[in-house]
Amino acid sequence: MKKRILIVDDDPNILDYLESLFTDNGYETAVAEDAKEGLTKAGQIKPDLITLDIEMPGEWGPRFYRHMTQDDDLKNIPVIVISGLSGNAYAIPKAVASIKKPFDREQLLKIVKETIG
Amino acid sequence: MGGQILLIDDDLGHAGAVKTYLERTQYDVTIASCTKTVFECLDDFSWDIILGDLFIDQEIASRLSLITEARQPFQLIVYGPPEHIDLAMDLFDLKVVQYLQLPLNSKALDLSLRRVKKQLLQIRTIKRYSERLADLHNARNNFNQLFNEVPCYISVQNKDLRVTATNRRFKKHFGNSIGAYCYQVYKHRGSQCENCPVVQTFKDGKMHSTEEIVTSVSGKQYNVLTQTAPIKDEKGDITQVMEMSSNITQIRQLQDHLTSLGLMLGSMSHGVKGMLTALDGGLYQLETGLNKKDKARVDKAFEQIQTMTNKIKKMVLEILYYAKTREHRFKVMDLKQLVDNISRSIVPLAQKNNVRFKVTLTDAPGSIEVNPDWMEAALVNFLENAIDACSFDKTQKKHWVTFTVKIEDDDCICLVIKDNGIGMDQETREKMFTLFFTSKGSMGTGLGLFIANSVVKQHGGNVDVQSIKRQGTTFTIHLPRKQNNHTY
Repeated sequence: MKKRILIVDDDPNILDYLESLFTDNGYETAVAEDAKEGLTKAGQIKPDLITLDIEMPGEWGPRFYRHMTQDDDLKNIPVIVISGLSGNAYAIPKAVASIKKPFDREQLLKIVKETIG
Repeated sequence: MGGQILLIDDDLGHAGAVKTYLERTQYDVTIASCTKTVFECLDDFSWDIILGDLFIDQEIASRLSLITEARQPFQLIVYGPPEHIDLAMDLFDLKVVQYLQLPLNSKALDLSLRRVKKQLLQIRTIKRYSERLADLHNARNNFNQLFNEVPCYISVQNKDLRVTATNRRFKKHFGNSIGAYCYQVYKHRGSQCENCPVVQTFKDGKMHSTEEIVTSVSGKQYNVLTQTAPIKDEKGDITQVMEMSSNITQIRQLQDHLTSLGLMLGSMSHGVKGMLTALDGGLYQLETGLNKKDKARVDKAFEQIQTMTNKIKKMVLEILYYAKTREHRFKVMDLKQLVDNISRSIVPLAQKNNVRFKVTLTDAPGSIEVNPDWMEAALVNFLENAIDACSFDKTQKKHWVTFTVKIEDDDCICLVIKDNGIGMDQETREKMFTLFFTSKGSMGTGLGLFIANSVVKQHGGNVDVQSIKRQGTTFTIHLPRKQNNHTY
């Protein structure tokens, strides 16, 4: 069965990019444009991995992560932070990785593969 | 050693006796008893005293008389028989210190020698003084030159803070202000400044430094770095204070510019990173689309790349405009041509966003003097904003933007850009020309309208904004047809 990745980012261009990238490499994807939609979708599809932007309209990435970890069903899902914010490594310390935009897609795929196979 | 004496006497016995007498009083005496020896002695050596009978040969007297008093390195004491003395008085007058008749009186000789010694001492002292005076004179000239040519403003002030001396540069920018109060001259104010460094130096005798903004006679403002130093009298009391101000206006301007440039780059970096990632995305889609021969994906990717490239291009141009010193090259151009150029870049954008775009221009609008690149960019920016305002409006109404050129009179034209887009609230309207203000989130840089507005201002024009939320916005831009004496 294909592994599922939930992409949370407010920029439609980047959602599009990540969606294609993951789909092309054999993953199933779901997208969310903000934290609220992200939490709903995460609850519905129980993804194997979440990529998360930090700076978004409404709730920011760290708040999303806190809500997520308060939910027993979701709290063990690995998160990769993908953000243009400098110093994003400290935003969510428990993330499996923090990647800066613009990112190297080979590097991202490698981390995803190492995390969920 | 009392000194070197040349003793001229053809009576060797007498000469020998005088020599013995003088050597007892520590003089070094050489006897010359014939004209030849005298001349040799005069040529070979410099004597302190020449003593004797100068009329043993008329030639000796003539030769010695030719030496002028000022250049005479020796003192003369003459002795001889009365008729020789008489001749010598006629010829040498005051050049001779003492005339002594033979037979020599030892007391008179001693006195004469003592007088000579005293005179020699005085001459040496005077010589030393005049040398020192020349040095002083040179030093004063040097100091004056230094004082005047130092590339700073220098003023000397007394305890009342009145200016007592100024250097050339100071006079050039602040006038001849001797006697005026420092704060009057530098700052056009009526009372002394707070934390005056001059006052502090008067108090503690130390150097003090402040940074000030001063105003020159012509009304120009300069940033200066001011340093003070005490001037003391021979007792060590501070009588005056010297104030030296370096003009650092250019450095401060550059610093301000760099600060806002840094601020700008910082505030934009997030947007830039997003754009670059989206560009990466577009390239990825293009590549994989081509590999998969997926036409829809390729088309979409191409459009995305185009949009991102345009956005990045616009942003880079805005940064370049800001980073560059804005020196305007004005050119007289046909107003119709200017409007046509602008319309050409706006029409495609209007069509893409489904906005009707209408240009109104009278038949013979004449010409206008502008910097074509910047003025076109500025007006395009106003129009792009109008179209953006329409595209952000999600109501179903039909959107339009009008661009009307009105001829006010021979000297001035008026451009009206009107849209029926989202409109602005008062806060947005007030801040819209502020650097880095944007209402478009990460889509905007906060530079576009700031630059557009400053371009209009640099052309001697102004921008008026009317806007009602949810109804639309009107920009009214007044521009003079001719540019005169702009110094940007």
